Amino acid sequence: MPFACLFIPDFPVQAVVRQEPELRGKPVAILEGAAPLTRVSAANGAARVLGIEVGMTKLQAEACAGVERRWRSLSQEATAQAALLDCAWAISPRIEEAGVGGDGCTPGTVLLDITGCEKLFGSEEKIADDLRRITAEIGLDANVGIAANPEAAVCAARGFAGITLIPPGEEVNILGRLPLLSLGVPVEILETLHRWGIHTCGEFAALPEIAVIERLGQAGQHWERLSRGSDPRPMLAKDFPTHFEECMELEFAVDLLEQLLFVLNRLLDQLCLRLRMHILATTEIKVTLTLQAEDSRRKEPVLHIRTLRLPMPVAQSKMLLKLLQLDLQARPPNAPVTAVHVLAIPTRSRTRQLGLFLPLSPEPEALEVTLARLQGTVGEDRVGAPELLDSHRPDAFRQRRFVLPEATLRISFGERPSRTALRIYRPPMAADVQLQDKCPVIVSCGGGRKPVLAFAGPTRTNGDWWSETPWAREEWDVLLPALRPKFQAENAGSEQAEKALYRIYRDLHSKRWFVEGVYD
Amino acid sequence: MKYVELHSSSAFSFLEGASLPEELAETAAKVGMPAMALLDRDGVYGCPRFHTAAKSCKVRALIGAEISVADLGHQARPPAWMPHKAPLRPVRLALLAKDRTGYQNLCRLITRYKLRETEKGTGTATLQEVAEFSKGLVCLSGGEEGVLASALIHGGIEKARGRLEQLITLFGKRNVYVEVQRHFDPLEEQRNQAAVQLAKGLGLPLLATNGVRYAQAKDREILDVFTCIRNHCQLATAGRLLQKNDERHLRSPEEMAEIFCDLPEAVANTELLDSRLKYTLADLGYQFPLYPIPAGETMDSFLRKRTLEGVQNRYGSKNDEQLFAKATKQVEKELQLIGKLKLAGYFLIVWDMVRFCREQSILVQGRGSAANSAVCYSLGITAVDPVGMELLFERFLSEERDDWPDIDLDLPSGDQREKVIQHVYEHYGELGAAMTANVITYRGRSASREVGKVLGFDADNLDRLSSLVGQFEWRGPDDTWQTYFEHAGFDTNHGLIRKYLHLCDRIQDLPRHLGQHSGGMVICQGQLDSVVPLEPATMPGRVVVQWDKDDCANLGIVKVDLLGLGMMAVLEECLELVPKHYHVPIDLAQLPPDDRTVYETLRRADTVGMFQVESRAQMASLPRNAPDKFYDLVVQVAIIRPGPIVGNMMNPYMRRRQGKEPVQYAHPSLEPILKRTLGVPLFQEQLLRMAMVAASFSGGEAEDLRRAMGFKRSESRMKQIEIKLREGMARNGIDARTQEEIIVQITSFARYGFPESHAASFALIAYASAYLKCHYLAAFTAALLNNQPMGFYSPATLVKDAQRHGLRVKPIDILHSDWLCTLENARGKDGEELRHLRMGFRYVRGLHEKAAEAIVLARAQQPFSSVSELVLRVPELQKSELVTLSEIGALNSLGKGVHRRSALWQVERAARPAGPLLDTLGEEEADISPLLRMSNEERLVADFHGSGMTTGPHPMLYCRAALAAMNIQRACDLAKVADGEYTRVAGCVIARQRPGTAKGFVFLSLEDETGIANIIVNPDLYQRYRLLINREKFLRVEGILQNQDHVLSIKATRVLTVRISAAETESHDYH
Repeated sequence: MPFACLFIPDFPVQAVVRQEPELRGKPVAILEGAAPLTRVSAANGAARVLGIEVGMTKLQAEACAGVERRWRSLSQEATAQAALLDCAWAISPRIEEAGVGGDGCTPGTVLLDITGCEKLFGSEEKIADDLRRITAEIGLDANVGIAANPEAAVCAARGFAGITLIPPGEEVNILGRLPLLSLGVPVEILETLHRWGIHTCGEFAALPEIAVIERLGQAGQHWERLSRGSDPRPMLAKDFPTHFEECMELEFAVDLLEQLLFVLNRLLDQLCLRLRMHILATTEIKVTLTLQAEDSRRKEPVLHIRTLRLPMPVAQSKMLLKLLQLDLQARPPNAPVTAVHVLAIPTRSRTRQLGLFLPLSPEPEALEVTLARLQGTVGEDRVGAPELLDSHRPDAFRQRRFVLPEATLRISFGERPSRTALRIYRPPMAADVQLQDKCPVIVSCGGGRKPVLAFAGPTRTNGDWWSETPWAREEWDVLLPALRPKFQAENAGSEQAEKALYRIYRDLHSKRWFVEGVYD
Repeated sequence: MKYVELHSSSAFSFLEGASLPEELAETAAKVGMPAMALLDRDGVYGCPRFHTAAKSCKVRALIGAEISVADLGHQARPPAWMPHKAPLRPVRLALLAKDRTGYQNLCRLITRYKLRETEKGTGTATLQEVAEFSKGLVCLSGGEEGVLASALIHGGIEKARGRLEQLITLFGKRNVYVEVQRHFDPLEEQRNQAAVQLAKGLGLPLLATNGVRYAQAKDREILDVFTCIRNHCQLATAGRLLQKNDERHLRSPEEMAEIFCDLPEAVANTELLDSRLKYTLADLGYQFPLYPIPAGETMDSFLRKRTLEGVQNRYGSKNDEQLFAKATKQVEKELQLIGKLKLAGYFLIVWDMVRFCREQSILVQGRGSAANSAVCYSLGITAVDPVGMELLFERFLSEERDDWPDIDLDLPSGDQREKVIQHVYEHYGELGAAMTANVITYRGRSASREVGKVLGFDADNLDRLSSLVGQFEWRGPDDTWQTYFEHAGFDTNHGLIRKYLHLCDRIQDLPRHLGQHSGGMVICQGQLDSVVPLEPATMPGRVVVQWDKDDCANLGIVKVDLLGLGMMAVLEECLELVPKHYHVPIDLAQLPPDDRTVYETLRRADTVGMFQVESRAQMASLPRNAPDKFYDLVVQVAIIRPGPIVGNMMNPYMRRRQGKEPVQYAHPSLEPILKRTLGVPLFQEQLLRMAMVAASFSGGEAEDLRRAMGFKRSESRMKQIEIKLREGMARNGIDARTQEEIIVQITSFARYGFPESHAASFALIAYASAYLKCHYLAAFTAALLNNQPMGFYSPATLVKDAQRHGLRVKPIDILHSDWLCTLENARGKDGEELRHLRMGFRYVRGLHEKAAEAIVLARAQQPFSSVSELVLRVPELQKSELVTLSEIGALNSLGKGVHRRSALWQVERAARPAGPLLDTLGEEEADISPLLRMSNEERLVADFHGSGMTTGPHPMLYCRAALAAMNIQRACDLAKVADGEYTRVAGCVIARQRPGTAKGFVFLSLEDETGIANIIVNPDLYQRYRLLINREKFLRVEGILQNQDHVLSIKATRVLTVRISAAETESHDYH
């Protein structure tokens, strides 16, 4: 039962180079982390020759002349990994995202069960060649290892450059040259082996098995067998499919939204049908639009990817289409579309029993469409539910995605003391304030000049002094003849309507005054 | 209007205040405050510094503290609906001392709950204890941390009223003040309104304070950083833990009057309360304990008797009538002064400690200025004869001085010293004696690490940075935070990095926590806890006071320093080893005074391991000084000090010593004083005498001069004394030029001078160590290795040095080693008796002493014959310990042909039970090791990794052939190289130094198999090879050989790495 392993050395670098082919063959270092703590997280061989080391700071990396520096892109890596899986699936239906020593999975490593594939693709050498060729087509340089058991194949691919075929029975000889590190032996065992003077797989393999078990236990036996290439572990084949995809290559590039929606409608119909057959729905739809490349020499596809994450499972194509329409209206592709790819992450359908005595809340689907409409109009980060932040900065909050709360009875008003509410003007209204004995006496705002009838304050706050955006302000609560009588007219008597309590503040950095809001 | 700030805390509230007490006092003076109170959290840590600083600023320093109380609930926190991380903390009562009773009660109260603490900073008082100690104290209702804020938020106005009534019951109505603070915060203002209402209702006075946490508004940043350090979070995520604004600084009376314009009585009350607070630290009420004397005696008469007995013993035995008469006269003079100053008790107590040591066979020797006293010598406190050596008594004690004399006792470090400390505790009671504190402050590395964490730097970057922060004495223009950051690869133009630099700089020297001083003990008549609060030290069985030794000295608290001296422990161990293995008795007091071998060895600078004369600088000057009598050694100990070097005294002395320059005196009257040191002033006593002779100063005035020019020099005081000095000299007819010369000599030297008495005490120990090394090398080396860490060199270097001197050092062996290094007697080829040194288990990294003892115990019953037997019979041995023992070859003696790897092979099996199935396998079959023996390099790596040294060949020896081919000289061959010739050496770096006096020059010591080569690196070259010099373990250096007066060194022109070994050798760096 032969196995093949595809391994992409310096995977983070290759994932980037794949998107920028002009970097091929050049020394490249990948940077990661927010400034000023940026570090080199990966580098290719050419960069290492020029002195780049993983862990260097950006400044140190810049000192190595001739090295191209790029930021790490997890999405590019994920795409590259997906593409790698596709390459593997092109040869075998049984594949595994393999890891070091079978422990977890490492991006850039894929194991294939190629039993029976020779009937389709030819000899093992041919399969290895095909694998390298296909991966080269998607822009990745791979090592390929083929062996009779999974771990030997993984070790061969990780340990040797190019294609390595290990004939059955030759595992010890071939893998024996590899350092133990390439096996991924746990540190504690590795330390013991180093103390014993054992540094290569061959040396490890030469130790008597029972003696090793006596000393290192079952784990030792496992790793020793691995070093011999003789640990036949079962392959943990990747479920197929784990997600639902539909795609369509378009004969002619589409540049109108209506035409694109027509295509999307068909794809979504198919997708939702398949989901419903499995009594599943989706909470995530990823639409990848392949755009017409402006530069015809460019091999890499230009993609326009939109992902919709839904708060509840959906299996109605019409609703999904509406949401996509709103999304694409807000962010249309900037070039004609040549291919459409839709991917749905499946989940269980929604079941919900409404409470007899609970107030009716909006239909989640309808609410979602409304929120999407609002986002399209005012911007994505301006719709949601506010959440107070742990900060002294006035009005510090963040927007969280609005989700209908679980249906529960409301807390009675009696439990919380009533508070005066401040209606905040967004943005605050610029004002001029005249002071007397350091206290406000006249507030001029929006063309009106109002005397201060009473005041309280000041309140001083400042903070974030270490950051690029420190703040410092002085606030006053002032009673003025109303600046905007219409706010008061609705719920106040005619006498009160003439006055209102405002919060004004002075930004101590810009020295400017603002009216921040009015108290109810 | 006047205003007194009555609620402020300093950085001695440990991470809850951001300014030093001195800054607070200065700022208070600047803003026109007549007085100010310091109330630090759970202590009076900063009060002495505050008191001293305030005195010089003419501000009255009032004393108080914030006391954590368990029964008053928790401090107010933001409401639950607001996101925050504020931890639950007990309410703190702000207490002020009205009078001495109040202060004493405060100290006792703090001591009571502090001594209960199981974890630092967690102690809380009970209300019952507060009631017990409430007399003489005034209680404030506090700010956000206080009882009123807590009650209002947790139970509203009624609960608050209840709390205030409780305080009235505890302290009395006149002693409770309702505090109002205004930091421009509406929530606080709500509290204030409630406080005003409550005060009115209960008839309590209002008191305005600013709840000061820092001197100036800008220091709020430091407080925010400290808050993050305390709460283990970052600035970006600390949220509401941080300060809301920067208003908690010291405000002027005008500002406070303006802020509290609606409550003028609250401000006025501060002045009224100030007038009621009579207590300052000037009235400490400290009394040194009386010594218990037999009936019919006074302490003076008892001291006289003991002293005269001592005079008979010490001077009578010398058979020198003239000296005896002189000594009797001096003792009489001293006793009179001691009587006059009422110090007899102090001398008797120290005498009693020394007597205890003698009874317990603990080696003890007084040092410091006490060695100037004939009484101390007669009482056996010191070992240097001040009369014979003509030492100046006034340096120790004089009538004009208002402080206590300083007696330091050197004791063997370790258990013996602990025994003496515990004796003092037992003798004076738990609350009668304590160690002085040592305030741990933020320094380069700790500052960079903590600030980095707070700003969100990751561990990797912090490690990188702190490894680059310089620790050496000398700081060149490049030794700035900016340079460190650039070397660590940071962009110093980035805003965050600039902030980091700034903060690192600003938190330097601010207190971090309280540690324990190495030896200072304070003792008090009756209850020490009424003088200063006591708290438990981290070390079990120790109690510390809240003040450091300078604070104690400034407040006139007598301190006895019980200092642990590693070399004393070495000498003590030699006293046991020499008779046992060399079969000769030895008495340190009776060592031959002028041993030729000792002085020859000293002249050769062959001094590795010897006390005080082993450092690189000492070695470089020994051949020039060429000591041939004891006094030369006294000079040698004193001359390699910053004082003589900065004062440019060393070179003239050395030139005169070598006859290269005539001996001259600035004035003929100085000849008797400076004759012994060839006209060059080297000791503090000489400086004092110069002032006494040239300017007719009295002894006390001269000592005043020394102190004025000492470490904490004050410009104005120096000027005054200089005028006085000039006047005196003019009166004595000394011309202006000579006056100038004398003043330069005095001023340049006074700062760092070394007392002659101290040098003489040290020289005695230095001579003893040299004598033992020359004559009993095995015993001396064993004792030295058993008392590490101490001295200048690592154990690896000490072993190699001993081997070069012909000592056979045997490796650690499971069948022969003890916990300590031991001596093994053997016969040489010619039948002569030899002593070999056997390394002890204490050098096995990670081996517990208990396991080692178990090995020795089991071995005494029957030796081990195999690894499995060892594992079976010593179950205390953990696997990691067995592995290390195997790796360093300690198990090689367990069977024929056992080598390190085969032992490892066996250990792995023996330490892991095989189970019933595999147990049936034959032992022999299972134990045949398939592993190869270690190579030389592997052995070296294992030796250094497992024991920090090797008893085998030096790593350099393995590469000698290759090195010779590269024309690299051995250290021992450098003497054959001509002065000025270009040469190459290579070796293991054993010391890196950058002394403060060397203007940025770096000194390296490279060790090879034949000795040590000394390298001088100029500042430019150091900058070029900085990384290489600081990081590489083995270096190759090329440069010009300098041979000056038989002192060999290479002035480096090139520094290169050289691949010798991966062994983890150690270097003694920048100390």
